[in-house]
Amino acid sequence: MSKQKTMVAKQEQRWAWLMVAPTIIGLLVLNYYPLIQTFLLSFSKTKTFGAVEFNGIQNYIDMFQMPEFWKATWNTILFCILTVPVGIALALLVAILLNAKVRFKGGFRAIYFLPMVCAPAAIAMVWRWMFNGEYGIINSILGVNINWLTNPSTAILACAIVAIWSSIGYDAVLLLSGLQNISKSYYEAAHLDGAGPIRQFFSITLPMISPTLFVTLIMRMMASLKVYDLIYMMIDQSNPVIPNVQSLMYLFYREAFVAGNKGFASAIVIWTILLIGIVTVVQFIGQKKWVNYDV
Amino acid sequence: MKNVKRTLTALLAAGMTLSLAACGGGGKADGNLTMQIWDNSQRDAMQALADAYHEKNPDVTIEVQVTSWDEYWTKLEAAAGAGNLPDVFWMHTNYILTYADNGMLADVTDIYDDDTYSHYSEVSIANTMGSDGRMYGIPKDKDIVCLVYNKEMFDAAGVSYPDDTWTWDDLTAASAQIYEKTGKYGYMAYADDQLGYWNFVYQNGGYILNDDKTAAGFDQPATIEAMEFYIGLQDNDWCPDQKYFAETAPGNAFFSEQGAMFLEGTWNLLSEMKNYPDMQGKWDVAVLPKAPNPVSGDGRATISNGLCYSTSAKNQDNAIVMDFLKWLGTEEAQQIHSSYGAAISGYEGCEDEWVAAFDQFDYKLNVQACIDMFDYSVQSVNDATRPVWKSKVTDELLKIYSGELTVTDGLASINNIINTAIADGAAG
Repeated sequence: MSKQKTMVAKQEQRWAWLMVAPTIIGLLVLNYYPLIQTFLLSFSKTKTFGAVEFNGIQNYIDMFQMPEFWKATWNTILFCILTVPVGIALALLVAILLNAKVRFKGGFRAIYFLPMVCAPAAIAMVWRWMFNGEYGIINSILGVNINWLTNPSTAILACAIVAIWSSIGYDAVLLLSGLQNISKSYYEAAHLDGAGPIRQFFSITLPMISPTLFVTLIMRMMASLKVYDLIYMMIDQSNPVIPNVQSLMYLFYREAFVAGNKGFASAIVIWTILLIGIVTVVQFIGQKKWVNYDV
Repeated sequence: MKNVKRTLTALLAAGMTLSLAACGGGGKADGNLTMQIWDNSQRDAMQALADAYHEKNPDVTIEVQVTSWDEYWTKLEAAAGAGNLPDVFWMHTNYILTYADNGMLADVTDIYDDDTYSHYSEVSIANTMGSDGRMYGIPKDKDIVCLVYNKEMFDAAGVSYPDDTWTWDDLTAASAQIYEKTGKYGYMAYADDQLGYWNFVYQNGGYILNDDKTAAGFDQPATIEAMEFYIGLQDNDWCPDQKYFAETAPGNAFFSEQGAMFLEGTWNLLSEMKNYPDMQGKWDVAVLPKAPNPVSGDGRATISNGLCYSTSAKNQDNAIVMDFLKWLGTEEAQQIHSSYGAAISGYEGCEDEWVAAFDQFDYKLNVQACIDMFDYSVQSVNDATRPVWKSKVTDELLKIYSGELTVTDGLASINNIINTAIADGAAG
């Protein structure tokens, strides 16, 4: 009997492996192999057309001595600080509103999710027009004359606004699914006990949604530390504010594909991975304090 | 239902096989060639060439593929590294030395038995050369930088149109006058090399790289003087600053009637006539103003660049590819090319076809002025290390414009960047 069971289990296991094989092979070939290659490349001097020469930690020494690199690291962290808390808070607000009894709920959900469906390039083009210092709609509505995209102190803010705008919908949908898992009976009980909406939010909604919130937070954090396309599209190559907005990935792009310095660029990637790793580990330690899994 | 599934599977399998087949290629001996280009506005001209050749050689079919400029070079570099270059592709002076000096391109110096190459100007031939002085491409076209101006604004300000007597002083005086009278910008000077300061530097007798390309020229008094003049233009009220240009390209500003003048390359003129039909008749082209007190020379210069058709070094003995390349450089092919108006053929005598292409418009643009400038044109600046220093120089220039660096410090730094790149390049 037990022998037969193991046979079945073994066979099932074989099937399981077969089923996940495409994904695993994909991961190995498309993610892990390039990761290892990038790591090796970061210790090499690359020449044109793929020729490689080992040069130890020289790329890292050069990198740590490069002012643009530290500026880009700071820009990336700043971008993260600007976008993540505000973005998540707004997404939570939207999710709660969409979870309430409102008319045209489906329509609103679609509208909030729409930015996620749009091509980032198209989004950036439209926002560039709106932010234009000469005839942009934002300046005319606010009645100010700010060169949003060419002023060193506002350019990153403008990029952050677009990033928040385009991520709210997706995050809100994730959070909404978390909200819908909260049983109505908690609220009914709270209501009977005389808890107001604010108290209900902090005592029921927030703890109950914290696992979803945590996942959203991690994902948004990683995405904003890896930001590249948005800044690339919003800030032209001839824009003098590039040093003030370029993220690590933008710097990577410029080093790898504009200057053709792929070894050095790989070192930037490794640094970014480390940075994301550290931030994520800190989050996983910190979550024990606030994420509630006993539902 | 089962049949539908089976058909779908078969289709899918067929599709995958086809796409696999498409991935192959490179150095094949059959008559299907690919030609990679980056300029969509020249697709028709290239297709016409492909068709004309196919008519003469029915066994050979050429497929024209267009990718955007940035993507083109990223792809081409990867393809070159993998030994998988397209059969025929455009080469640009920015990159030809990198490709030629690394042995990626076939040597076409001896492709003709006759004197075909003598019909090309020295600049055209030089634009196809590797550092060893051999030719690694068949000259395709030549271009020039000209002054584009808005006639209505000149009329409104009561300023006479630019002509060949103009100097830098006339350029600034006219700009000031136009700004005062119409409130529109004058000459729009922005951080660009080929369509900007290079022209002024060479007009003033300066240089970006010395003749044997061993040193930068940003420490030369003539270069410094021209750079100070050019960068200083943005200090005038009549010239927008670099922040403005970061949001609005000078061409866009010009064709939305915000400014009166900017420098434009001949390769854009035809598409600008087509793309801005309402503007036809309101603007025209003129020769570049000259330097009033050049350190050396007569004050005249304009940057002339040229592309060429190249093929992989692997195709050195590929008769089919070589024959197509050879044909591309003949007068016949160059005339077809010129008649499409997007680019001026490199072959001397084909300029008229290019000028005639502008006859399709009611307003006759004075494109002959562009042709006249070839007499004193200067070869577009390049050396094997330009890809390394190009973006760094732009970064420094932007720092000068934003006031982070003084002109003197910035130019010294640019000089240093280029010289370091050249030294590193020489060291291997």
